[in-house]
Parts: sequence; C-alpha cells; structure tokens
Amino acid sequence: MSTPLLCIREVAVRFGGIVALDGVSLDVASESIHAVIGPNGAGKSTLLNVVTGLYRPAAGAVSLAGEKIDGRSPHRIGRMGVARTFQNTELFGDMTALENVMVGLDRHHAYGILSGLTHAGSYSSAESAARMEAESLLELVGLSGQMEVKAATLPFGNQRRLEIARALATRPRLLLLDEPAAGLRAAEIEELNRILLKLRAELGLTILVIDHVMPLVMAISDRISVLNFGRKIADGEPEYVRKVPDVIKAYLGDRADHAFGA
Amino acid sequence: MRVVAIIVGLALFLIAPQVLPEFRLFQVCLIAATALVVLGQAVVTGFAGQISLAQSAFVGLGGYGAAILTSSWGLPLWIAIPVTAVVVGCVGFVLGQATLRVSGHYLALATMAFSAIVQLALIHWDSLTGGASGMPVPTLQIFGYNFSTGRDLYYIVLPITAVLFVMTANIMHSRFGRGLTALRQSETAAEAMGLDVLRYKAVAFAASGFLGAIGGGLLALLSTYLDPAQFSITQAVYFLAVAVVGGLLSVGGVIASSALFVLLPELLQSFQSYLGLVFALLLLGFVVVRPDGLASVVHIAGFAKGPRSRETP
Repeated sequence: MSTPLLCIREVAVRFGGIVALDGVSLDVASESIHAVIGPNGAGKSTLLNVVTGLYRPAAGAVSLAGEKIDGRSPHRIGRMGVARTFQNTELFGDMTALENVMVGLDRHHAYGILSGLTHAGSYSSAESAARMEAESLLELVGLSGQMEVKAATLPFGNQRRLEIARALATRPRLLLLDEPAAGLRAAEIEELNRILLKLRAELGLTILVIDHVMPLVMAISDRISVLNFGRKIADGEPEYVRKVPDVIKAYLGDRADHAFGA
Repeated sequence: MRVVAIIVGLALFLIAPQVLPEFRLFQVCLIAATALVVLGQAVVTGFAGQISLAQSAFVGLGGYGAAILTSSWGLPLWIAIPVTAVVVGCVGFVLGQATLRVSGHYLALATMAFSAIVQLALIHWDSLTGGASGMPVPTLQIFGYNFSTGRDLYYIVLPITAVLFVMTANIMHSRFGRGLTALRQSETAAEAMGLDVLRYKAVAFAASGFLGAIGGGLLALLSTYLDPAQFSITQAVYFLAVAVVGGLLSVGGVIASSALFVLLPELLQSFQSYLGLVFALLLLGFVVVRPDGLASVVHIAGFAKGPRSRETP
C-alpha cells in the first residue's frame, strides 16, 4: 500500500459531556476508496467535520500528505485539496448548476478586482475558461443537459451529482462524501458507483465515503473502517470487515446478509 | 442591446438639462446620490446577506470627512470626496472584521451601535464638526469653475453615479459576485469550496462604506449644510427600507426605489406629517406582498434582474 494521503491520529471530539469521537485513528491510502460505516450516532459525520475543519478535535491530529490540518479554518483546508459533499446537500440553490460548479473553479481561473470592476483585461478569457471546465465537470457526472437549471429545482439524485461536480471543481486531492447514496434508488446508486470509480481512474482521486448503504460501500471500497459509539471497532478490506463478529453485532444485527445486499 | 442602452442613456443625460427646470435637475441629483448610498446597502445586505444599520454613519463620515478635509486642510473638494470614501471603505472593512463574527440580530445591533457612536462623535467633536449646529459644505470648485446649482452638479453627480453603478453591476457578474451569491446561500458550502467567507463579507462592508461615503459626499454638495441630526439610526433604517423596497438584489430596483422615496414627499405634500407612516406602510407592504421588491414589479428590461439570472453573453 502506498503512503496514506490522510492520517487521522487518536482524534477525540466531545460535545459537552457527550463523547462523539474517542481516540479514532484512520489512514486513507492515496488513490483509494475508503469507506467509514457505522450506525447512527457512531461519529461518522463528526469525523468528516473534523477533517474539513468544521469541528476542532479536543485531542489528536489530522494531516493531509504530511501537513497538519487540524485547527485550520475550513476554507484553508478546502484550498489544501480537501473537498466534500453534504449529507442533506448544501447547494447554492438559486444559482444554476453551472454557476454552482464555477464557484469552486473561480480560484483556479482568477483575475484581479480591477478586471472584475471593468470586465476588461483577463476577465473574458478567465470566465470562459472557468465555464468550459465547469461544463466538462458537469458532463463527467452526467448533468450536461441541465447546466442552466437552478440547483434547487434539480431532482434529488441530480443534486447529489451536482455536489460531486462542485466538489471536483476545487481540484481536490481528497474527496469526502457524506452519505452520497442516502435517498437514492438502486439504479441511481449503481450510477453513482460508476462515477466514483471513474473519478479515481481518470483523476487519481482519493475518496473517503461515509455511508449506510451497503451495496455502494461493498462494491467499490478498497478498505472499510467501522465506527460504533465514537470508537473504531474494525478496519480492513470489505471481505474481512463483513465477517468481524463485533461489526455484525453492533451494526448489521441479525440480518447481516440481507444488509450487505449480497 | 448594450450599445442601444448606452446611446439612449447618453441621449437622456444630455437632453434632460435642456428640458427640465433647475428644481427637477436638483431632484435627479438627489435621487442619484441616494441611489449610491442605497447601492452600498444593497451590496452588504442584499448580495452578501448581512443586515447592516451602518449606512447613515458611512454617509455622515463621507460628508463630514470631505467637508473637513476641504475647509480645514485646504484639499480641493473633488479630491477630498474620493479620499474620504477610500478611508471610510477601510473603516467599513475593519467594522466588518470586528462585527461579522456575529450575525443576524446581533450584527444589526453591532452596526447600529457603530451608527450611534459616529453620530455622537459628530455632535460632540465641536472643534472639527461644528457640533450640534453642524457645518457648511464648501462649494465644489474644479479648475476655477463653481458647481453650486443643481444644473451644475447634475454633470458631476450623474456620471459618477453611472460609473459606480456599472462597476458594481460588473463586479456582481464576476467571480467576486459569484462568491458573495454563494456564501449568502450556504456559508458552510462556500467555506468548503475554499472561499474565505469572513473576508468576502468584510469586503462587502468596505464596498458599502465606500459607496455610502461617495453618496454622502454628493448629498453634502447638494444640501450645502451638514447637520448631525441627518445621520441618525432612524436614517440608517430609512436606507435599509429603501433597499428592501428596491428588492436588495437588483441594481435597477435600487434606482427605482430611491426615486420613489425621494419623490414621494413632494407628491404627498398635504400629508407631510404622515410621511413616516406612508414609508412604513410601503415597507411593510413590500415585505409581505413583494419580498423581491420593486425589481419584481418594474422589470426594467434586463436591468432589474438579479445577477443570478444573467444570460450567456
């Protein structure tokens, strides 16, 4: 296995008296698809919010390619190459799909404030370059027909895809997906899987996905970590994790085979 | 389309002084200067989504600053106004950095406190501001020519307003405006995209300070006298109300609403004592019935649209 891109070391998060994460360590290998699963309240989303800087851990460290990122503000972490989607989608609803993606691209097609005020200088070339890259990202996730549609009016499945395109627009090294399959139909999940595998193959992305939905996680993950009550209870390849008794008991219950969708 | 708009605008600009009497030209100037102030309000409250009650303070600082620089330091007024506006813009940036850690009601209160402090300073710093009795504004003089009537000032106020409006519209249709639009809708997502949200909001405050101060300088030229009572918290609420009635997200709405609020007192002369009530009802009516403001009623072709619905060039 290559060196890990993301290192989470002994991270603890407390909200008042509640321990949300209790010394969790995790390595996400470069160019891998890594899943974090666990029952509700296991600390999955908390972990993601620590990595993106929304929460500061009470203890422990997080580093990206050897650089410390815990304690940095979310936009700095974003600029270092960490992009994310949101569990309940956080799109810019009044903006078109294209504009949503362009927000992430603007940093890479920059022009000065004077060009912005006068629309002279590099304004036109930078804007059209950003627009073209946004179009190709929307194509990549299969939204080329809906570029001028307001994000809020897109069907839910397409909103999820748009979030992925928007996250890609920041040109990330690490893509974090917060329950990307929640609320999707089986066919849409298959399509999502296809997109994620394509992203890794074409862009060399590292993907950390948090989810309940077993078919997604089992089919594409190289590695799965299982959280329960803020602790990591298993970590390994999908075939290994599904057989760990603790996992079956804590998370999958009696109907494990059914839950795995095998 | 754009060329036609420019030609029509230029023609109107040149014809108006030939057909309109002095008083009407003065009113046009008043509308333009008010619109600049309200544009500043729209940038911070509409585009950046931050409630601010600091606009009257920016206007006061702009007017007093320019007048003081000219009468005490001997700077020509046409230099003093932009210099003051840049300084007030910086004040706005600092105010933004200091207050934007809170939002909503708390931000409204913090900016209101700023307005109160500025007004108190204007009243009590006698040696500089003339205290409660106020101070006269020197006449604008450019290369020996005195601009004192509405007809003279028309040629100064209108072009400045036009240029600043075009620039603001431009910036809203750029990556900077896109960033503001994004953070207004989801700060969390905007941050995750690498946008420095606090900085964006502080720059919006700076822009509102700059525009407010330019507008304040021009209003001072028009009124020729500065009275600290003009820069009260009530006045800040007034500017916010004009912006809300205009629609907050539309450059055209700002102009339409400013015109409405400047002209209404004249139309309602016989109801002079109920003017506040009329304004209040107007505001209430728009908030309840037409939250998108005049912009959604007037639809000045292509101009009243928010920056979000811009067509492909």
